[in-house]
Amino acid sequence: MLIALLSIVVGATILSGLVTIYIDVPRQMGAQFRSYGANMLLLPEEGASLTADSLQEALGKIPEQNMVGATPYRYVRLDMPSRQQSFISAGTDFSQVQKTSPYFSVEGAYPKDTREILVGKEIARTLDVKVGSSVELSYKTTGKAGDKASGGDKAGTVLQGSAEGFNKVIVKTDVVLDEEGKIASLEVDASSQTPGIGSLVGTDKAFLDQFIGKSLPLKLSGSQAEDGAAKDAAQEEDSTEAAAQEEGAAKDAAQEEGSTVDAVTGATISSQAVIDAINSASSSSDDVVPIENTEHFTVAGILSTGGEEEGYVYMSLKDLQRLTMDETLDAAELSVSADAEELEAYSKEISDADLGITARLVKRVTRSEASVLGKLQALVFLVTAVVLLLTMICVSTTMLAVVSERRREIGLRKALGASDGSIRKEFLGEGMFLGGLGGVFGALLGFGFAQLVSVSVFGSAITFRPLLLPVTILVSMAIAAVSCQMPIRRAVAIDPAIVLKGE
Amino acid sequence: MALLELKNVSKIYGDLKALNDVSIQVEKGEWVAIMGPSGSGKSTMMNIIGCMDKPTIGEVLLDGVDISKESQKALTDIRRDKIGLIFQQFHMVTYLTAVENVMVSQYYHSMPDEEEALEALDRVGLRERAKHLPGQLSGGEQQRVCVARALINHPELILADEPTGNLDEANENIVLDLFRQLHREGTTLIVVTHDPEVAEAAQRTIVLEHGRVAREVINENFSNQ
Ligand SMILES: Nc1ncnc2c1ncn2[C@@H]1O[C@H](COP(=O)(O)OP(=O)(O)OP(=O)(O)O)[C@@H](O)[C@H]1O
Ligand SMILES: [Mg+2]
Repeated sequence: MLIALLSIVVGATILSGLVTIYIDVPRQMGAQFRSYGANMLLLPEEGASLTADSLQEALGKIPEQNMVGATPYRYVRLDMPSRQQSFISAGTDFSQVQKTSPYFSVEGAYPKDTREILVGKEIARTLDVKVGSSVELSYKTTGKAGDKASGGDKAGTVLQGSAEGFNKVIVKTDVVLDEEGKIASLEVDASSQTPGIGSLVGTDKAFLDQFIGKSLPLKLSGSQAEDGAAKDAAQEEDSTEAAAQEEGAAKDAAQEEGSTVDAVTGATISSQAVIDAINSASSSSDDVVPIENTEHFTVAGILSTGGEEEGYVYMSLKDLQRLTMDETLDAAELSVSADAEELEAYSKEISDADLGITARLVKRVTRSEASVLGKLQALVFLVTAVVLLLTMICVSTTMLAVVSERRREIGLRKALGASDGSIRKEFLGEGMFLGGLGGVFGALLGFGFAQLVSVSVFGSAITFRPLLLPVTILVSMAIAAVSCQMPIRRAVAIDPAIVLKGE
Repeated sequence: MALLELKNVSKIYGDLKALNDVSIQVEKGEWVAIMGPSGSGKSTMMNIIGCMDKPTIGEVLLDGVDISKESQKALTDIRRDKIGLIFQQFHMVTYLTAVENVMVSQYYHSMPDEEEALEALDRVGLRERAKHLPGQLSGGEQQRVCVARALINHPELILADEPTGNLDEANENIVLDLFRQLHREGTTLIVVTHDPEVAEAAQRTIVLEHGRVAREVINENFSNQ
């Protein structure tokens, strides 16, 4: 009886242990062979940069029919202003990702449209975002003030400038340029100008309207510069110097259409100050200023890979390039169907091609290795089946021994009026009890066994699957019940008359 | 009408006639002893009467029912309901206590009732040993437990196959006294024995030889007050 119990415990242990491993192995393997899919990595050479063009050229070295997938990557740290956190964001091509990283498992869908992102599971957890959530991401950098800003809400660049006007009073201007670099709007702060006519440059609508649509740099219209400056100089002291400076340049400028403005009558120096301020702002556009581009994205999918990818945000390369105003790439993962020798040849060709690209080979699980995984699972299945079969044989034999040992007792029970049904029930009940008990021990031991195997073979712990406990117990009971069938038939066949014969 | 009637019963094993054209009648409440040399067919007859075997030829009427035609399942039911069995080798379930052994019989008959089982043990003078295992009881005590077990369901007919075969005189007398009690209560008793003393306690003795009824002896000195 103890032997039967023991064999059921062993059987159930193997069953639950191997099933746990069976379920866990693909996950483990996926985590083990991270680069399953991609087998070549293209990186920019020291000092060179990887661009769409150079990548295209490199890909040309590999025959098209051998190319399974080529995925460009650009990694940038993006901020999430609302959470005051930042994440590594990867810009990539999602149609290619699925070919070079088949182990990516996406809940929801891969992004299809612009401003859709794929969020790593870890980030999704910390930020508590779900598929369909909206996320605000911003890119912070420094750049020239004149750089075109992206993003809907900022159509153009604001240029701030100032210049000295009449009586050394500062004139400040705020100019917004449109996408073609033409003035879209203008504000002038000349409130501290000479009370009276000089301050008009800030409020005279006719004067200010002239600037709209003009491109930089600006000049005061020629005749006025000459006439007006002289005339003003008579009225306004200290102005001769400024007027004299203008004289030569103004003549050339007058020829350039669309970049001349007429001064406010009687306030030539103040008008000139406005122009100087705008021009100074324009010329200061080479100065380095902070830039922040912010866009809203919709979460299309949550990514789980069991690896560091779960801490990344993925978006289309286009989105990332628009956000960062930068078109360079950091790497490209390639999946090439070729044998080791050919791969070596391709990588050498690309590295030697003077494209500023080095190609590196990456070990991956090849298709045959993947099928090893399938075979391993089949083997696990087979071993489980064999062990269960052995368990059944063992239980059956033990129960047979028990029946023949208890022959007299069974005969006696029958002589005392036990029906076949009650004998059957008794033994079946006993068998099921053994099965259940063995199943409980087996399920627990099996988890320990699986844990041990997982830790020693794969180096990672496995999660306990509560469902496996009742399943193991039920299977053990079923196996015990099946194993008991033959012994029960024997028991039922015992002739009660044996007890009278005094055997 | 007789409680039990065998009409021209034969049990044939190959070319051996363990029972050969046996016809007997046992009245309700009668106490009958069966004697005969070894191999004369006594146990074979008991098996047939006890619904554990069927005759090759002939009819066996128990309470007017021909049990030689009944199915195995029906025979089990009849045995359980009407017959109490006592064996020579006081068969007990070795891992159950005395009272539990009595309750096994109750279990298959109706419902185990410990109180009733203890009362039955009391009748055979073993109430104190109720919690003992068979191994802790003497042969005589074990046989008394078997008697208690046989009478627990108040059977109409008690069949005993050499109930005193392994007992000393003192225990033999205890068992015979129990039989006398049962007889007084109206239970029909059929007792197989080699012991003339045991046979003399019965009202009538049937002697078997070579599977045939050799003779029947009425015990004229029978008394049971
Ligand atoms: N199952 C069987 N198969 C073949 N022969 C049997 C079988 N059972 C009994 N016999 C034979 O039938 C004959 C009668 O046997 P039975 O057991 O009835 O004798 P018995 O009168 O009870 O003897 P004993 O006093 O020794 O117990 C014997 O010769 C025995 O060998
Ligand atoms: Mg016999």
